[in-house]
Amino acid sequence: MNRFDLDDMFAPEAIADPYGFYAEIREQDPVHWNERFKLWIISRYDDVVWMVRHPELFSSAVVKNDARPPYPPIDVEDTGKLGFVRDFRAEQLVEKDQPDHVSMRKCVHDFFTPKAMEGWRPFIRAAAAELLDDVADRGHMDVLPDLAAPFPVRIIAQMMGVPNEDRDHLREMADKLLYINRGESYRLKPLTEGMQQMIEYVSPLVEKRIDQPGDDFISVLAGGEKLGVFDRHQVLVNTALLLFAGHETTMNLVCNGTLALVQHPDQWALLKTDPAGMARLATEECLRYDPPVKSTQRIAAEDVELRGKTIRKGDRIRWSIASANRDPEAFADPDRFDITRQPNPHVAFGGGIHHCLGATLARVEGQEVFRALAERFDRFRLEADALEYAPSIQFRSLKSLPVSWA
Amino acid sequence: MAGKLRVTVDHAVCVGNGNCLTTAPGTFVHNRDRQSEVANPDGDPAERVVEAAEGCPVSAIRVEDAETGQQLFP
Repeated sequence: MNRFDLDDMFAPEAIADPYGFYAEIREQDPVHWNERFKLWIISRYDDVVWMVRHPELFSSAVVKNDARPPYPPIDVEDTGKLGFVRDFRAEQLVEKDQPDHVSMRKCVHDFFTPKAMEGWRPFIRAAAAELLDDVADRGHMDVLPDLAAPFPVRIIAQMMGVPNEDRDHLREMADKLLYINRGESYRLKPLTEGMQQMIEYVSPLVEKRIDQPGDDFISVLAGGEKLGVFDRHQVLVNTALLLFAGHETTMNLVCNGTLALVQHPDQWALLKTDPAGMARLATEECLRYDPPVKSTQRIAAEDVELRGKTIRKGDRIRWSIASANRDPEAFADPDRFDITRQPNPHVAFGGGIHHCLGATLARVEGQEVFRALAERFDRFRLEADALEYAPSIQFRSLKSLPVSWA
Repeated sequence: MAGKLRVTVDHAVCVGNGNCLTTAPGTFVHNRDRQSEVANPDGDPAERVVEAAEGCPVSAIRVEDAETGQQLFP
């Protein structure tokens, strides 16, 4: 007997335990038609990897090509906001197909290479240290507001080349942008507000960098505008993308990874034997075991046969990272948290041409945070009886993670 | 820089991002699994091949001087 309604991705049980939910889908009907939301769920590791490597069959231009109403439904009075949201999102790199995608991505690619991100490591290490300094004497923290949320914003602010005093405003805008793919019917209100504020905030910054480029990310995009790869609107919405994509994902990596370490004292003890040496593989396991992004979307560009099912051109698809990363066909003992797991070819960053642009940044962030925690603290105690997650089908986001230490 | 190169792609690591195919199109192609593969290690100037290796988002590409064995990347 099933523990879950396989078609209700927003059910409290599925939000609390996506791994149990997706395991039932993966075992019973791995390419699953979700009748409630009229979309396909792709759950097996092999299928996910195959899918993300065939962008000509599975389009990323979901917002542009999907005229159907959003799921779950939005408030009727917000219908007029949909056009604005479409115009904003459709021009972001993640929503572009070839050939536009490759020319846009090429422009920003070098900013995020492993070599470039190593250059950022000292700043990232210092950001983690500063935030932990602030709480060290207190004996307790809520990992979310005290560490996980401010940490990526400091880094993104620096990458955008904006002043420190703007961090709070950035966070406020980022929080509103996070309503994408949430379930609340009112979600377009904060979302469009955040998008509008973002455009207003970034416009003068872009204007300045067209004339006086620096070594920041907005200058890279402004340089793309000069080359004719981006138009102004695309520069603005892709700056917003950096803030959005680099924010909640990193928050979730820090929270979910810390939680996994707290809940597995043997693995925590192991990490503590050599924090600097073990942080790299530990971060990969955190990304596999409880990934920041649970699922994301595509739209079929052609009719596609997959495991005896026919996905029709134009069908909506969600492919599940949470499921693929726990697929026993791909990972031995997949539900075990093992910070020495190697190889660990998880799909937390997707794959193919849309493989997460910020993957190396996220890795360095995770490595520096988990290393710093293991170097500083002997043992954490979880100070919550129950953990609550945001009702998102895209993000695996804790609402709070209170811990204490002696 | 070096003359002939030895170029290898680690398929346990390659995510099929395809950046190397854009940077050094004479050297790299996608195989059936859409992972990068070396079609011709001398298909581009050595600088381009090293640039492709440096630009790989998961550092899956290794470049050596075929004659001396000297490691050019990583």
